[in-house]
Amino acid sequence: MKKFKRIAALVLSVALVGISLTGCGGPKESSDTTPKASDTLIYAQGAEPRGLDPAMVDDGESAKVMINIYDGLLKYSKDSTKVEPSLAKSWDVSPDGLTYTFHLQEGVKFHDGTDFDADAVKFNIDRQLPPQVTADMAYASFVYGSVKDVQVVDKNTVKVNLTAPSTPFLANLAMVMSAPIISPKALKDNNNNVNQAPVGTGPYKFVNWAKDENIVLVRNDEYWGTKALTKNVIFKFIKDNSARVVALNNGEADMIDGIDATVVKQITDAGNKIFQAPGMNINYMAYNTSKKPFNDPKLRAAISQSINVPEMVKSLYQGYSEPATSILPTFMEGYDKSIAQVPYDAEAAATAIKASGLTSVKLMTYTNPRPYNSATGQALAEAVQGYLSKVGVTCTIDSYDWTTYREKLKAGNYDICFYGWIGDNGDPDNFMYLLAHEDPSMNVALYKNPEFNKLIVKGVETPAGADRIAIYTQLEKMAAADAAWLPVSHAETLCAYRPNISDFYFHMTGVTPFVGVSKK
Amino acid sequence: MLKYIFKRILMLIPVLIGVSIIVFLIMRVFSPDPAPIVLGQHATQEAVEVWRQANGLNDPIYLQYFHYITGALTGDLGISYYTKMPVTKEIFARFPATIELALVAIMLASFFGILIGVISAVKKNSIFDNAGMFIALIGVSMPIFWLGILLIIFFSGTLHWLPSSGRIDPLLQPLDITGFYLIDSLVTNNMDGFKDAFRHLVLPASALAMYSMAIIARMTRSSMLETLQQDFIRTARAKGISEGRVIIRHALRNGLIPIVTVIGLQLGSLLGGAVLTETVFSWPGIGAYTVACILKSDFPVVQGVVLLIASIFVLVNLIVDVFYAFLDPRIKYSKKEV
Repeated sequence: MKKFKRIAALVLSVALVGISLTGCGGPKESSDTTPKASDTLIYAQGAEPRGLDPAMVDDGESAKVMINIYDGLLKYSKDSTKVEPSLAKSWDVSPDGLTYTFHLQEGVKFHDGTDFDADAVKFNIDRQLPPQVTADMAYASFVYGSVKDVQVVDKNTVKVNLTAPSTPFLANLAMVMSAPIISPKALKDNNNNVNQAPVGTGPYKFVNWAKDENIVLVRNDEYWGTKALTKNVIFKFIKDNSARVVALNNGEADMIDGIDATVVKQITDAGNKIFQAPGMNINYMAYNTSKKPFNDPKLRAAISQSINVPEMVKSLYQGYSEPATSILPTFMEGYDKSIAQVPYDAEAAATAIKASGLTSVKLMTYTNPRPYNSATGQALAEAVQGYLSKVGVTCTIDSYDWTTYREKLKAGNYDICFYGWIGDNGDPDNFMYLLAHEDPSMNVALYKNPEFNKLIVKGVETPAGADRIAIYTQLEKMAAADAAWLPVSHAETLCAYRPNISDFYFHMTGVTPFVGVSKK
Repeated sequence: MLKYIFKRILMLIPVLIGVSIIVFLIMRVFSPDPAPIVLGQHATQEAVEVWRQANGLNDPIYLQYFHYITGALTGDLGISYYTKMPVTKEIFARFPATIELALVAIMLASFFGILIGVISAVKKNSIFDNAGMFIALIGVSMPIFWLGILLIIFFSGTLHWLPSSGRIDPLLQPLDITGFYLIDSLVTNNMDGFKDAFRHLVLPASALAMYSMAIIARMTRSSMLETLQQDFIRTARAKGISEGRVIIRHALRNGLIPIVTVIGLQLGSLLGGAVLTETVFSWPGIGAYTVACILKSDFPVVQGVVLLIASIFVLVNLIVDVFYAFLDPRIKYSKKEV
């Protein structure tokens, strides 16, 4: 009897734990397709996407998946950020720049079989405009901030009215955040959030998402454009950088991203290939222009003059970052190679600094690697500290993890800080406005120049063309003359892929369209 | 005995209330504001305020706790700030992976730990003892992430024997019935899936088992050494019982109580998620996920996970206590049986 009681007790307690654990295995939807390795591309990325609703996310990991599921009205060309037709086959802009009329592709269907038309476009933009827009639609105000309303002209024509002329608006419509068109039916069925059940018009359809493991997509055989070459795409999430490299070399992944210079040899030795392209980013050092000593442009220039940027970039990034001569990436409209910062001259710098009486400065930096600075802000600050010590300036470095660092920046308690920017839409305004922005977590130089700000506004309003390019060249010149920043480098994009993969590319906006990629 | 179990389950309530208050306060006092993290780099100050208001973060802290705990009592742990998914869904999507890894690891650790411990104790001060304790020393002192990376580089990178990351080849993923891939693939007769899931388990389970194995081996050795000195062992030997039977039936069984306690504690902590192992092997479990959520200040998820882990820890310890009565009939939990 006693033994029976003991057995009953044990069974009961095991059952308790069992019950508390079985909830875990709630049935998930599973794939009904049975993909084969030969017609499947496997892409390994370093983190899981936040979600797959373009209006609800802001991270690059989500963008890599979403570009394959959705189309926007416009898209970027393969090797630049120039916009091309996509769901809109053509468009007209009114002479006052306030009305954009889009003529839509006909006969396009969403993955759920519903029709893509002007109503769908209006539905998608309206959900991101007041009064429907919600605070957590991260890119709504960036992409549609200048939109007044949307009018359906007929089934295949839609008119977007702006509150003020905005040339970057077209570039915004090619973005993967906010701009892609989602099936209105899917949005209605999913309580206005398709993070877990994306339905677009794109070349691939969503199949399954195993949390923290992978996302599976299958080719959309009814795609309105050029159909994808490979049947299935799997996005795997491998957090550890060296494990991702092993996965590629081992054949568990066909393509990987997030690699740095230290593993390039390991990858090429295993017979794999490296994809290398200019990145749409800037890694910079900013002076606190709001207070002494760096409210003096001459002193800022003297400090910049004491730092040998090309040498520092070569040593920190081992040839996988390009030294920056100005703010804009070299491929962007407005970039002019004749514009440069004050050239390196330690002796002249030392004389100027000595004359000013400056002997010590407070640097503030971040300890993490960032996409534009793989060596970490700490390493960059220490390199700068080295150069400054040669011209008689002692530096103290305060460093924080990235999240804390961003909080600390708001207090403005630094002489020099380090930061960076990854472009959103390929428009020069997206870079130059950082020096005109009122938010101290963006404009970390706390730079205020009314003339500069006026020119920024003019740049936004001026239609695309030579006049507009001239404005950004002028802004670059002003920034260089004022030396509020010392542009350091543009990080290159580094990815790797197996030799049997053809036509893989990583677009400068940080996305990986797989429509033309094939596997032998 | 049943009364004892009931009492122990009641004791879970103050534990969970205490844990929930502590984690609630820690997250709110020490974590950065979640709003800028959730809303991204283009968020305006106005949007941040609207979001904080909508998520109740501007309420007094006791009111926030009250809302949270009343929700939790009805099984509603809230919505993840970052992904906008219900917390229970987020947790249960990852928990089977943690359980599967923890169970395989603890089985490996217990088998090899007890084996090494017993051999070391029986052959005290021999080369076997020294070798066993050297392995145990390596096990407790080697950082798990380093061991993990070494295993990946050697067995996946160099020898290409085993996969480096994940739970299964996505192409072989079984239908989701229990969430445990070994079971699901067997039930659905997906033998390729079973083999692949097993192959994926080998490296992370070995890396994870190493530390627990070392602790269990050391505990087994010291417990066995003590038991082998007892009079009843001498008596058993004097009665002419074979040495193997003396060691297994008499010595090991009597020395098992501290060993089972250690195994229980190790299992409890493994079920809480093995952060480093999960990160190195991209194992989609609860540990690495929770750390990611802490870094993103995703309060509801962190609170939910901590509550779950605390409950499991208490329940596993309860099983261990009940198990004592089997191992040692002298242990009784109700007065009637005295």
